[in-house]
Amino acid sequence: MPKLTYILRRLVALGCLGVPTVVSAQAVCLPAPRLLTMMPMGGQAGTQIELTVTGENIEDSHELIFSHPGIVAQPKRNTENSVESNRFTVSIADDVPFGIYEARLMTRLGLSTARVFSVGNLPEVVRDKPNRSLASAMKLKVNSICNSLATEKSIDYYSLECRKGERLVIECAAKGIDSKLHPVLIFADADGRDRFVERRTGVLDLSVPDDGTFVLKVHSLTYEGGNPFFYRLSIQVAQPDAVIARLPATRSVCSFSWPPMGGIPKASGADSATQLEHEPNNDRTHAEAIQLPCSIRGAFAQAADVDVFDFNAKKGEVWWVEVASERLGVPTDPAILVERVTGEGTEEKVADLVELSDIPSPIKPSSNGYSYDGPPYDAGSTDVLGKVEIPETGRYRLSLRDLLGGTRNDPGNVYHLVIRQAEPDFALVAWGLHMELRNGDRAALSKPLTLRRGATIALEVVAVRRDGFDDEIELFMDGLPSGVTATGLKIGKGKSRGILLLTASDDAPSGWSHANFFGRATIAGTVAVRPCRVASMAWPVVDAWHEIPYPRLLADVPVSVRDEEAAPLSLVAGQPPAGQTVWTAKVGETLTIPLVHRRRAEFSGATMQLKVFGDGFQQSPRFEIPLTAEGSEAKLDLAKLNVAPGDYRVAFYGSAVARYRQNVAALTAAELAKQEAEAAVQARKVEVKEKEELARVAPAEAKQAAESLVAQAVEQERAAAVNLEQATKRLQEATEMSQPKDIVDIICSEPITIRVTPAEST
Amino acid sequence: MNLPPCRNPTAMGTWAALHALALALGFAQSVLVAEDVAIRGAEVADAVSFAHDVVPVFTKAGCNAGSCHAKAGGGQNGFQLSLFGFDTEYDYLSLVEQARGRRVSVATPEKSLILLKASGSVPHRGGVRLELGSAGYQIVRRWIEQGGRNTSDIDTPLVALKVEPTFATLTMQAEQPLQAWAEFADGSKRDVTDLAHYESNDKARAEVDSQGHVKTLTLPGRVSVMVRYQDRVAVANLSIPLGASVGSLPPEQNFVDKYVFASLKELGVPSSPICDDSTFLRRVTLDIAGRLPTETEANQFLADPASDKRDRWIEALLQSTEYADYFANKWTTLLKNRRDDTSDLTSNFAFHAWIRDGLLANKPYDQMVRELLGATGTVTGNPAVAWYKRVKEPKEQLEDVSQLFLGVRLQCAQCHHHPFERWSQDDYYSLSAFFSQVGRKATSTRGEDLIFHRRGVATSTNPQSGRAIRPMALGDPVGEIAADQDPRLTLVDWMSSPTNPFFAKALANRYWKHFFHRGLIDPEDDIRDSNPPTHPELLDALADHIRKSQFDLRELVRVLTKSHAYQLSASTNPQNQSDTQTFSRFYPRRLPAEVLLDAIDQVAETRTDFANLPPGTRAIALPDNSYNRASPFLVVFGRPENASVCECERVQSSSLSQSLHLLNGADVRNKLSADTGRAARLASSTRTPAENIRESYLAAFGRTPTAEEQAAALTYLAAPTSESEANGNTADDPKQLREKYEDLLWAFINTKEFLFNH
Repeated sequence: MPKLTYILRRLVALGCLGVPTVVSAQAVCLPAPRLLTMMPMGGQAGTQIELTVTGENIEDSHELIFSHPGIVAQPKRNTENSVESNRFTVSIADDVPFGIYEARLMTRLGLSTARVFSVGNLPEVVRDKPNRSLASAMKLKVNSICNSLATEKSIDYYSLECRKGERLVIECAAKGIDSKLHPVLIFADADGRDRFVERRTGVLDLSVPDDGTFVLKVHSLTYEGGNPFFYRLSIQVAQPDAVIARLPATRSVCSFSWPPMGGIPKASGADSATQLEHEPNNDRTHAEAIQLPCSIRGAFAQAADVDVFDFNAKKGEVWWVEVASERLGVPTDPAILVERVTGEGTEEKVADLVELSDIPSPIKPSSNGYSYDGPPYDAGSTDVLGKVEIPETGRYRLSLRDLLGGTRNDPGNVYHLVIRQAEPDFALVAWGLHMELRNGDRAALSKPLTLRRGATIALEVVAVRRDGFDDEIELFMDGLPSGVTATGLKIGKGKSRGILLLTASDDAPSGWSHANFFGRATIAGTVAVRPCRVASMAWPVVDAWHEIPYPRLLADVPVSVRDEEAAPLSLVAGQPPAGQTVWTAKVGETLTIPLVHRRRAEFSGATMQLKVFGDGFQQSPRFEIPLTAEGSEAKLDLAKLNVAPGDYRVAFYGSAVARYRQNVAALTAAELAKQEAEAAVQARKVEVKEKEELARVAPAEAKQAAESLVAQAVEQERAAAVNLEQATKRLQEATEMSQPKDIVDIICSEPITIRVTPAEST
Repeated sequence: MNLPPCRNPTAMGTWAALHALALALGFAQSVLVAEDVAIRGAEVADAVSFAHDVVPVFTKAGCNAGSCHAKAGGGQNGFQLSLFGFDTEYDYLSLVEQARGRRVSVATPEKSLILLKASGSVPHRGGVRLELGSAGYQIVRRWIEQGGRNTSDIDTPLVALKVEPTFATLTMQAEQPLQAWAEFADGSKRDVTDLAHYESNDKARAEVDSQGHVKTLTLPGRVSVMVRYQDRVAVANLSIPLGASVGSLPPEQNFVDKYVFASLKELGVPSSPICDDSTFLRRVTLDIAGRLPTETEANQFLADPASDKRDRWIEALLQSTEYADYFANKWTTLLKNRRDDTSDLTSNFAFHAWIRDGLLANKPYDQMVRELLGATGTVTGNPAVAWYKRVKEPKEQLEDVSQLFLGVRLQCAQCHHHPFERWSQDDYYSLSAFFSQVGRKATSTRGEDLIFHRRGVATSTNPQSGRAIRPMALGDPVGEIAADQDPRLTLVDWMSSPTNPFFAKALANRYWKHFFHRGLIDPEDDIRDSNPPTHPELLDALADHIRKSQFDLRELVRVLTKSHAYQLSASTNPQNQSDTQTFSRFYPRRLPAEVLLDAIDQVAETRTDFANLPPGTRAIALPDNSYNRASPFLVVFGRPENASVCECERVQSSSLSQSLHLLNGADVRNKLSADTGRAARLASSTRTPAENIRESYLAAFGRTPTAEEQAAALTYLAAPTSESEANGNTADDPKQLREKYEDLLWAFINTKEFLFNH
């Protein structure tokens, strides 16, 4: 889309929202620290490596934090013992298990977004010079890992010595370690002639055709390159029948709902919890007899594979069927058909009972990823979760197929089928609430759980409910840093969406911690607590029209707060009337809540519109508040909302365009530094003149020493001039950075507790 | 041989006389009618059938042609007929009941508007179509006289149309009457020669008039005449031998030679000799790898004394990545890998690479088609899905599949019965039904869906009849397809079955055309009874070979290029210089746009850079059409926009702009004068001019210069130019010398020898 059209669209969108329209080159969301790349992206356990990072808003960051305590980073120092910007020395303890971990930078704005750091068990190298031609191919050894990045419009060449007949497993880890690279692997002969090519899975598993030197080519499918297109190239020699595990990778958002807690029954009479399917079981004559409940692992190994299972069931029974396959990380779309079988042999007849396919997202996601008619996260899956109600006692047939498997043969397309009686339960996933502009917003930004003082940020929480579980789910978080509180706005009965608010107090000290995020519900009279996974975008995508957002699950939930900046506007409920600890109203009344505005920045426009979070209150109409006043009122019509008596938590939210100045402190510091540098230059100039004068009048025997002092002073003057030049440049950068910018962001009030009492209550 | 015309044998006796005459004249092969079959015809005088008599009159008169009253959207002046009368019920309603019935007047038939208009008695924009009193006029008038009834309830259904002779050998400038026979469900036959429509498929070889009278012209070869009556088509296949002495033909390398040479003998066309090594090297390298042989390759090949060197070179080319690149270029064009938006980049690259990698790995053709048509998933997970991104609707899917993989053009049958074939609308929609269960789910990539098989019984609705139709493969039943089965896979099963009459044949014909520059059936994707192959046995044998080799594409190329038929010289002899269909010689063809650009780069030792691709990427390896926008050269030389499933989208004709481009185009000029180019290198080389000239000839033509060429080039290099003389420079001035080498290369690339594969 032409840039002008794009900007105009944004303007229209903001105008529709009643958000100020005096915007130019407006950005979305206040600056957040983001760790974008690391080189290398991992290392071998028990080694020490040097690592370089790049990112957004990570200036002056000297702390790199990993999700495993055995991985520790120190800022790299140069020969003068000064800290080198964005470089670290990382020590990986011997006992850090093979796997992936999260790395984050601590910045002046808090903890950055995460980037995958891999720990492996093979020796690692980093590509150290361009290898864009056959002649400059980088030599690699088998059983090693190379950290590298693709170059735009180029092919990376590697050479390796191989022996005829040996099995070579070459893997290029990319998307699974947060890279934007879609890798192409080409195994070529010594002259560069392609022999084997792999463009989909990133894995070449081949038998070496001859003894000698071979060439491995790596490039992006569309020949993109640069820092975001990094990769880890693993080359292993394997035994012919060995199962080689893929390099560890991040998990997609949909996988949060697998495995079910307690929802995998043990197969009757079997020692292990799970049995394996037995091929051939592809049609009715080869149907595999099973007993319910059951847990079966299998694979859509052959093209158009169908796995057929027969079972007996009694009238009135209800069986829940769940299949995991996409959630196991394979590109499948399982579907189930259950038929009722009557008659035997040639007299056999079948009648459809139920078809099951897909776990729909509990809330509507963005329909195409580039317009905001829902969040750019999909909590649904192509897997299966549904129930089978048995109408008559008798025989039934379950056919399981992969809707995407018509033409491919891949034993790696595994599934796990579970048939159980109801085990009501739930699974939770959360992500940073995204902008919702009326005309859509294409930004899909990675949002660290990092707070400015006085800020309240919202996490959208979604539940997949299992086996008929319908009750409300409380949300809570613990292990938070000092000055930060978390408030869950529950997922109501039968609902799928809740909100968790993280609020930093006005005086919160800088700090961070690994927090724990849970949902709690009463299931069959027992309190059940389930973890809530957090998802984030692997990359900040400012325009999903041109780049496909890629969300993934995070391994942990770190929360940080920093005291360098404060939220542009805090909305806080006034104190409840005397005698009330919370805002209280009777059923059918209109509750008026005064809002206090703590404004710390200028805003474009005079008003903003607010909506309401909180179960029971979501349908409240939008209302407008002034952006220039010190306070306002929120009115909640309990009659229209038909709110039942009880305690509720709500919050108000909307978006506004703040005039934001980034890192003003750096500007002040740069100004001071420049003044000092200027003074130093002047002082050095004076000193040079003094020394020259002394040298001029010095007696002959002291002449040489005096001239030496002059030379020394001149050198110091030159150094001071260089320093001034750098200080001037830094000031220029700081000035540029601190220029006021129009940034639209979500503004969320602190949570408010409301008590609704019965109408007859006094 | 001239046969006396003989028409309208409306009685058994007349036919018997004709039969006897035909036998006497040696036309035994033309006679089909059994003696015990009743012959109808006289009955026409008594009861006129609307379908069997009246509508054919309209067809013959052109009333129901697409340009006249069968024109889509209302016909002419509100009077619409079905195209070629394929829907007689509709025609009857239109003629008798519409326009308040004024088109037909039973009381006064001659005052019927239909007759007044058709005879020109009242103004008619279409002119006089039926002369007053003509046979056609009389038929229509009599029908009206008899009540203007729709006789469909009493008509005996038409079941077949036969033409006599079906096969015939004619001399040049001879005449042959054709006779058309309609066969009915009750076993009766009727001479419909007057009512049938005739069309020659090669008007340069034979003409046919409206009465079925064929006249051969002065070109030898094969020609067919299509005969159409109602919805039936029959074909008369005629051979016109040259009759020259064939002499000795090259030895037969394989079955290709057997059939080609047999045909030459039959038609009396002597072949050209086998081409020399350098011509073969250049030809086969261009045809298999889409590039010129390098100087090194040419040197080695020409110096190789081994008798099997041609076969070995074919094998080397087949194993090269350029083979995969070149044929991927061919297939992705036909499969519409088109960039309409920048977001298509990934899917187009992935799809192109999928084809290319499949060719590199020599994936069997039927497997490739299976993966394409049965594709499910996302483009990045399964690039074959990209085809469903480009070809979204079932009707497009069936039309493309039918034309590309079966060689059958079904587009016409969407709206009406195919005018030249047996395909009906039901055939069209029953093929469409195979694609009726293609499910789509939106993905986060703009314009791309996830494709899956949607459970359900596959059906498609014929909009005209309103009937839901189950899948049928061009009339072949494929059995019951269960709701769980993906019907597309059933279609591919049918396509790749050993008895499929289209799939292997269409591939054979397409590849034949690639290497021989004319299809055995031409156009290569228009296989129909009315467009028969020039070498039917050869086409069958090739199809059989494809099936036996399990759809091995390399093997197909191997068998074609190893044949001596392929290796014949392009030079002509007096007898075959006008031959354009017997393959008695190699038919030269201008290099395709991408190949020509690469060839110029190869000769000039330059490269053309393309967006999003590594430097050095050849034009034959471009993944989609988007590169045409930045390359006037590719556009001028006819690189297609990947919008059509037809190879005809590639423009192979010549134009003035092509000549100007080569003569004086900036891009060509810049290549020849590049500082790092061949001309600059040769000018600064320490080698002798003769060595440089030899290298240049090898690079451009794959051969060494003749003595005459060598001498001319040496003279040119040594002679001072008028400009240098004026400046007082010598001929070996480095700048002058470089310009002369540039001139030399410029001259090379402007020769027909360079521009054509010959």
